[in-house]
Amino acid sequence: MVEPAPPAVPPTSRPVYRGRIERIHDHNADTRSLFLRPVGEARLNFLPGQFISVSLVLENETRVRPYTIASSPEGPAPIEICFNRVPGGRGVGYLFERKIGEELEFTGPFGAFTMDRPPGSECIFVAEGTAIAPIRPMIRRGLAASTRPKLTLLYAAPDKAHLLYLDDIEQWRFSGVEFEPVIARTAELYDQLAARIQVRWIDADSDRSRHFYVCGVGKGVLRLRDLLRSAGYERRAVRYEQW
Amino acid sequence: MATIRVIFESGEPDRLIQFNPSDAPFHHVGQPGSILDVLLGHQVHIEHACGGNCACTTCHVIVKSGYNKLSESSEQEEDLLDRAPGLTPTSRLACQAVIEDPDAEIVVVVPRYTINQIGETAAKSES
Repeated sequence: MVEPAPPAVPPTSRPVYRGRIERIHDHNADTRSLFLRPVGEARLNFLPGQFISVSLVLENETRVRPYTIASSPEGPAPIEICFNRVPGGRGVGYLFERKIGEELEFTGPFGAFTMDRPPGSECIFVAEGTAIAPIRPMIRRGLAASTRPKLTLLYAAPDKAHLLYLDDIEQWRFSGVEFEPVIARTAELYDQLAARIQVRWIDADSDRSRHFYVCGVGKGVLRLRDLLRSAGYERRAVRYEQW
Repeated sequence: MATIRVIFESGEPDRLIQFNPSDAPFHHVGQPGSILDVLLGHQVHIEHACGGNCACTTCHVIVKSGYNKLSESSEQEEDLLDRAPGLTPTSRLACQAVIEDPDAEIVVVVPRYTINQIGETAAKSES
């Protein structure tokens, strides 16, 4: 016999934060960042790569959706989340309707795709589109390390307008980060990324001490993971997050 | 009909859900017919901070009975479970473990704690 449903189920026992939208930045026609300033004394401690779970008030229900923190843990800057419109995406539609001064409720931080400490060996960051969000604070952390290994960013998008944070990337280049942009049709993005990885970090030498951080949307991420691991990179040296 | 009994380490009362796997999805979160999908569809709350996208471990459950009635775990799920606290040989992510057997009798424990909420302070203290 099925038990009756309990009355009200608390959505979470974790601390719930409120963030006031302090600024809105449109990266392009369909990609936006919201800058959230925690209300009151609350301060969110997080690791580069983590995300927050935002409560979205939709028709007849409230749903929780994860949004990666694109800003860095260091400093007093507000928390930045970056997202783009997706066909039929009700949650992101709600976020696009928000105005400066409004508040969002969220919990977190969450996620295991993190850079817990400064990298100790060469790192290659691979991202496409908005999936640069978790990579951005990772690279900043890597650049802040006292002994800095070689850092490379392999970043793909269907056009230049969808390569985000180019100003940051330019600064990173001055600081020694190698930047390799990939512009390709959406359907071919992961083919291109896989080809570059194959040539540069698999076929070029037998060094398998590098660390990879891969973030993107869809099964292509898993394809890159498999490519690297099957080439001899240690499982834990290939970190990834697939959305 | 399949059943899931949920035992909460936090002390909340156990829950028993009876359902037909062929009715999935129940809540459209996680894999259709997954433990998470079934439980949310029956008003049993399990944390799922990433929205059931296999990107965190907040829905970590320990399967006490019926483990072999669940779908096989993927490499992605295993990679995440590696970082879950209190990992056991029968740990699963509720968003990925799908129940297909119409007569499955599953018992899961929801751990009291997860470390999905890793803060900078905690990370520093570990290093």
